[in-house]
Amino acid sequence: MLDRSKVKLMTKLALYEQTQGKEDFKISEYYRKDYVGLHSICSFLWVTVGYICVWMLILLAGFDLIVGHMSLLLMLIMMLVAVVGYVVILAIYAGVTSHVYNQKHKDARQRVKMYNHDLIKLLKLYEKEKQ
Amino acid sequence: MDNLFVIREKMRELYAAHSRVFDKGIQFVLALVTFYLINGNVGFMKAAASPVATLALAVICTFFPMIITVLLATALILVHMFAASVSALAVTALIFLVMYIFYLRLTPKMAIVVLLTPIAFAFNIPYIIPIALGLVATPISLVAVICGTIVYYMMAYVKKAAPGMESSGKAKMMTEITAYVKQVFQNKEMWIAIAAFIICLFLVYTIHRQAADHAWKIAIAAGAVANIIVIAIGDVALGVHTSYVGLIFGNIFAVIIGLILELFFFSVDYAKSENLQYEDDEYYYYVKAVPKLSVATPEKTVKRINERHGTEIMDTNKIRKNRQPKNDRAEKVHPNQRQSNQGRKRPTAKKGPSAKKHDIDEVNKLLLTQSLKKDLNMK
Repeated sequence: MLDRSKVKLMTKLALYEQTQGKEDFKISEYYRKDYVGLHSICSFLWVTVGYICVWMLILLAGFDLIVGHMSLLLMLIMMLVAVVGYVVILAIYAGVTSHVYNQKHKDARQRVKMYNHDLIKLLKLYEKEKQ
Repeated sequence: MDNLFVIREKMRELYAAHSRVFDKGIQFVLALVTFYLINGNVGFMKAAASPVATLALAVICTFFPMIITVLLATALILVHMFAASVSALAVTALIFLVMYIFYLRLTPKMAIVVLLTPIAFAFNIPYIIPIALGLVATPISLVAVICGTIVYYMMAYVKKAAPGMESSGKAKMMTEITAYVKQVFQNKEMWIAIAAFIICLFLVYTIHRQAADHAWKIAIAAGAVANIIVIAIGDVALGVHTSYVGLIFGNIFAVIIGLILELFFFSVDYAKSENLQYEDDEYYYYVKAVPKLSVATPEKTVKRINERHGTEIMDTNKIRKNRQPKNDRAEKVHPNQRQSNQGRKRPTAKKGPSAKKHDIDEVNKLLLTQSLKKDLNMK
């Protein structure tokens, strides 16, 4: 015999498993610190690549100007700006990444907790049925 | 006004009933428009720019998540850039990479905005984007709007400069790359548009969250006015020519879209709003409660009273037979009539308790006895 509450619960669980659950289960395998740390390292690498790309674009855009006014001082200033800019962007991005992935892990854990809670509920329903 | 709410409810019901079909339909149309515009503007590789390829790509994208449409659009642009020149490919790929690394990697859902912004530009209605996002999204979506604007102006430049790029050859590659980057990032029109969008989005976002009555309407109007003013001032200050007719009509259209969004996402009844004030140990509270406006859709039900509308001709023979005594009646029912009664099932009205049937002779007798009793004063 079909049990309405059981069907509802199973639908909810299946829906979660097939949508958000896939990513959430992967995330919740990590401790929060490990998860944030891993993504921070990835971000560091990506930001470095991105920053190099941005500088390439800047140099290309101002190629004529730079070549026309090339001097040791200009090169030093540019290098200083590049290094300071890199540190600043890295700091900003580290903050953003840490916040985003912390929140992501927190939300995923919360949803997995709810999922586990529903699973226990379903198990209890089955036990009741057996009795 | 009520009609609008009724239409809204009907549309919601319709969408709820067929959400999957609508979602896929919208995805297909969006993909088709995207690929058509890319192929129409920068379709340098003829094989990829053919209508069959456009349709095939749109069909493929329909069955995948939205991010696939964005990735395929990016790939298609890069393929066309490669056909135009290697330098165009290098610069475009570099710009896309920067966009991905610094923004889209963290918020992949916003990739759709990067796609919608150039489309809106192509239809001369880019002002919709900051107003709509200011109403329904967060200020972080501004980065996606800026990326989309850069992509549009990049495409516009390549479309214009492509013939020169093809003929230049490898020797002038560096000059070409420098010119391309310069033209894209020193485009005054682009920076004016970006400045206008930033101001517009922040203005719309800030005003629509205020507790004032009709905050959404005020925000939409303010956003449109800000767009017009910033672009007009920018044009005068930087000596760029923008079509003012397009600017004004584009913003009017953006206002209309904004009002439609308000109808769907924020319909409240300000006439019934209540201002409450109360306090606890630590704070005074000033609360404004505005009730949501909801209109129930009228349900039309068609009730059929009579299925047959033809006039029934009375059978005089049947009536005569009915008048005969009961014993005869049972035997003399016409066979055709019996058949027709079996075959035809007419809906019958519910009957109340039927009155006791009397024979006419009996009634006459009854009436006669009653009148006699009255005349003779008998009980």
